[in-house]
Amino acid sequence: MGNLPLKARIIVEGALSGLHRARLHGSSVEFAEHKEYSPGDEIRHIDWKAYAKVDRYYVKQYEQESQLTVHLVLDASASMAYGGEQAPAARRRVLTGASENQVAPETQESAGQGVSKLEYASYLIASLAHLLIGQRDRVGLSVFGDPNIDAYVPPRGRPAHLRDIFSVIDGVNRRGPTGAEPAVVALERIAELERRRRSLIVLASDLMESRPDLQAGEASDGSPGEGPGGATTMLRLLRARGHDVVLFHILHPDELEFPFQGLTLFESLEDERNLLATPEAIRRDYLRALDEFLAGIRQGCMDGGVEYHQISTRQPLESSLLELLAGRTQRAGRA
Amino acid sequence: MEFLAPLMLLGAAGLLIPVIIHLIGRRRAKVVRFAALDFLIGSRRKTARRFRLRELLLLIVRAGICLAIPVALAQPFTSCDAEGPAVERGAQAAILVIDDSFAAMYQIDGESLLDRAKRQALSILEQVGPDAEVAVILAAEGSDNPAELSRDHLRLRDMITGLEASNRPADTTNALRRAAQLAAGANHERRTVFLLSVLAATGFHDDPPWPPGKGPALVVVDLLERPELAGLGEPPGVDDPDGSDDSDDPDGADDPDDRNTADEDTVPDNLAITGVDVTRDPSSGPRGVRVTALIQNFGARDVAEHEIQLRINGTTVARGLLSLGPGERQRKPFLATIPAGSRYADIEVSLAPDRLLVDNRRFIRTELREEIHVLLVNGDPHTVRHQDELFYAEAALRPGDRADTGTTLTTATVDELGELLLDEFDVVVLANVRAMSGERVSRIAAWVKGGGGLLLTVGDNVDSDAYNQSMLPLLPQRLKDPIEVTYGSRGSERAERALRLAKWESEHPAFSVFTRDAPGLRDARFHTIILLGPTTRVDDRRVLVRYTNDAAALVEARSGAGRLMLWTSTIDRDWNDLVIHPGYLPLMQQLVRYLARKQEQRARETLYVGRSAVLRVEAGDSRLEISGPDLSRAVIEGERIKDRKYVRFAETGDPGFYRVWTSGESGELNYRVEADFAVNVDPRGSDLRPVPPERLPTAGPEQAEVRPANHKRRVELWHAIAVGLLMLLLVESLVSLR
Repeated sequence: MGNLPLKARIIVEGALSGLHRARLHGSSVEFAEHKEYSPGDEIRHIDWKAYAKVDRYYVKQYEQESQLTVHLVLDASASMAYGGEQAPAARRRVLTGASENQVAPETQESAGQGVSKLEYASYLIASLAHLLIGQRDRVGLSVFGDPNIDAYVPPRGRPAHLRDIFSVIDGVNRRGPTGAEPAVVALERIAELERRRRSLIVLASDLMESRPDLQAGEASDGSPGEGPGGATTMLRLLRARGHDVVLFHILHPDELEFPFQGLTLFESLEDERNLLATPEAIRRDYLRALDEFLAGIRQGCMDGGVEYHQISTRQPLESSLLELLAGRTQRAGRA
Repeated sequence: MEFLAPLMLLGAAGLLIPVIIHLIGRRRAKVVRFAALDFLIGSRRKTARRFRLRELLLLIVRAGICLAIPVALAQPFTSCDAEGPAVERGAQAAILVIDDSFAAMYQIDGESLLDRAKRQALSILEQVGPDAEVAVILAAEGSDNPAELSRDHLRLRDMITGLEASNRPADTTNALRRAAQLAAGANHERRTVFLLSVLAATGFHDDPPWPPGKGPALVVVDLLERPELAGLGEPPGVDDPDGSDDSDDPDGADDPDDRNTADEDTVPDNLAITGVDVTRDPSSGPRGVRVTALIQNFGARDVAEHEIQLRINGTTVARGLLSLGPGERQRKPFLATIPAGSRYADIEVSLAPDRLLVDNRRFIRTELREEIHVLLVNGDPHTVRHQDELFYAEAALRPGDRADTGTTLTTATVDELGELLLDEFDVVVLANVRAMSGERVSRIAAWVKGGGGLLLTVGDNVDSDAYNQSMLPLLPQRLKDPIEVTYGSRGSERAERALRLAKWESEHPAFSVFTRDAPGLRDARFHTIILLGPTTRVDDRRVLVRYTNDAAALVEARSGAGRLMLWTSTIDRDWNDLVIHPGYLPLMQQLVRYLARKQEQRARETLYVGRSAVLRVEAGDSRLEISGPDLSRAVIEGERIKDRKYVRFAETGDPGFYRVWTSGESGELNYRVEADFAVNVDPRGSDLRPVPPERLPTAGPEQAEVRPANHKRRVELWHAIAVGLLMLLLVESLVSLR
């Protein structure tokens, strides 16, 4: 991850050149129109010159807040470590080894097959940070997963701030995904910080939070833990408070297709549970449970106005960014 | 359980192989650290138990396979109590003589003796092993027996399993003789004949199947498992090392009580009908018959109130009870009426079931005697009816001129005799006729020899000399002059001097209807009689009735197939007053029926199972169809019937009634009721008394040691384990594929 800034810049400048619009996050203070004063309007916005001319109180209305505050929230819990069928040690080497031959994931022949979800999410968050800082937006970073590690970068708009963000992301990747802290914790902190200010909140997570109480053979309601439900609720709450909320739901193709064959010992990434099973025998039930899980999250986001993007790590990063920006451009156009 | 090769059990350590593989396989399972384990666990809920069961089942099956192989190689065996003789295994000639006579259908505890024989034969077949050459010979009379020994044990096993008892008696001696021939032609040193039989004495001939001491080894298996007969067939002294025998009994006496007890143990209970006779019974009406069943108790115990019943045309018409002592024979008469509509009837007499069912039924096809055609030749006709010679005879033979008397009368004079065809008559009565010409006499004599019955009565027209000259072929004895025993007497003196009938053959069929003293005959007075001279050239002449003066009253003789009877007085009132006595009518009717004899001939015919029935072929018959009691159908046609008057039908394997149909050129089937016949089992086979040991053939020097009837027998188990192994492999394949 040592070349994270470079890769982020390649992704943003190379692949997405000319596609984003400054209007998304305009920084100028432009007068828009006059509005007759009504109680509750701020007195400091009264146009006294107009009062002098027409003897009426008019209030100046401006275009959007000039500098956008963006909170990027990265899931670094242990479940994000999954990157295929490699042994965990080998995968950790991929994540932390900073091999010179390592190339950007979107350029790999089989993108997604050897890339962990954390790695993918990291590149995605870094690219967004690069893009937003370049537009002088204030960008902050929250990383959750391990409750023992406080990885929070407050929003700043300086270009040098980008280095801080990349440093934290790089550190998280070097350390590897650990812990099982839910996304709610990070989202609650942002909600607390941004009580008075509307901001853009981007969460990149698989929303998979383990339920250690659920053992093999026990009943399950099909949704692993209260995490996804809690995270979705929190996202909806933030949206209700006026924040713009985007959810990148990062999933590995193996999780979506369950292609395993032969006797397999499945070990939990977040706890000590394991399961010996014949994948062929349980594939249908697994895919049905996964579909219910995804449908629940998708429906929750849709109902709460949360922008939802299900991303497979096989999907090229630029197309994921393109998907986000194109969607937002359309929404801005409609506005 | 023991093992022939216990070292092979070391291979049972292989049991650990599947366990290890199972554990290794579990460890070698591909490891995937997976994020969505909660989904898996939720899905797994339904399949986990099934998966564990499958794994456990596979482990057990594979462990079973690994265990079964060394155990099978160790050749496990166990011992069990075996019945029947134990024989040496190995190369040898073994001939199994199996009693398939109908006595083998004897039931004990719901199992027939034939089933026992089959079981023991299969046991012997298994014990001798695949290297033995084996032949199976059936002991029923007339059985088809194989020509050679065979190693094809599978075929022999099928043959034994499919054996069914025949309905014929046993001919054990012949079967043993055939077995000895096969044994003599075998290339083995060890040659053994296994006799599995009821050992009924009737199956053994007086001449032994092989010379004493020169035959093959003989192992006798008594199917009735009588301990008294154990060891039969062994050479003397084999079972008696002391050399003592029964003669050493200090008492030196044969206690009858002991003998009875021994009989009860050795002679199986069996009640059988050995014969049925049907005769006309006029007292029961024109269609009345007397059915007499002959029943014999072949057992050694009393039989009390055993039910017997008579069925005619399938309907039970009479029932009765029998009580017989051991070995006792008894005649059981039934009086019955043949149903109207046909003069033929199927008569069946049956006993209540006992252990041997087949001889509890007896069948007879009977025919009501045909109308007897009687030609009455009147030698002294008279215009006054009661003075006519035949007035009383006609009234006696056809009382009331009823049509159901069974008799058709034709009256003629001597002159008219030449115009009549005698073959149309069964009986001719020459009543007081004058001596006839030689030609006419010759014609009548020829007719008698052909089966006719002639009753010759005398009277005033009879000239003894003339008769002795020309009528001699028709006379049992020459005639002398008549004598009038009451000549010159009157009144009561005349009555006293008259002759009476004093003696008669009460056993003769003609007198069977009379009581011993027969007042209806004895009271008649005879004034004039003809004395008889020397015997003529006839056969079986005998005097049936004599007068009080010892002169012959009725003489019978046989001439060819026919019979002659001479009545030495008149059949009207001229010489006696018999006609007014009650004995006259039955006497005349009995004489005529006896002379006709048609009923008796048919009733005597008895056809045993396996014997050929002779069927008459009528002109125009091109096909005969015979259906048996089991509704099987046999056809005789083509060259077998062409230009023949009789054909033989040998497929009489079952007792019961056989129906005959014929068809001519038109192909239309016609039921030939008169050709139906009944087949019965030979009563010889019903006698199950055991053969005396001294009548059994003496085994030769190759006599094998005969072990006790109950002994320990080794049962190899590897076959079953091999089958189990195959099953385990199959289960393993099926479970693995799932």
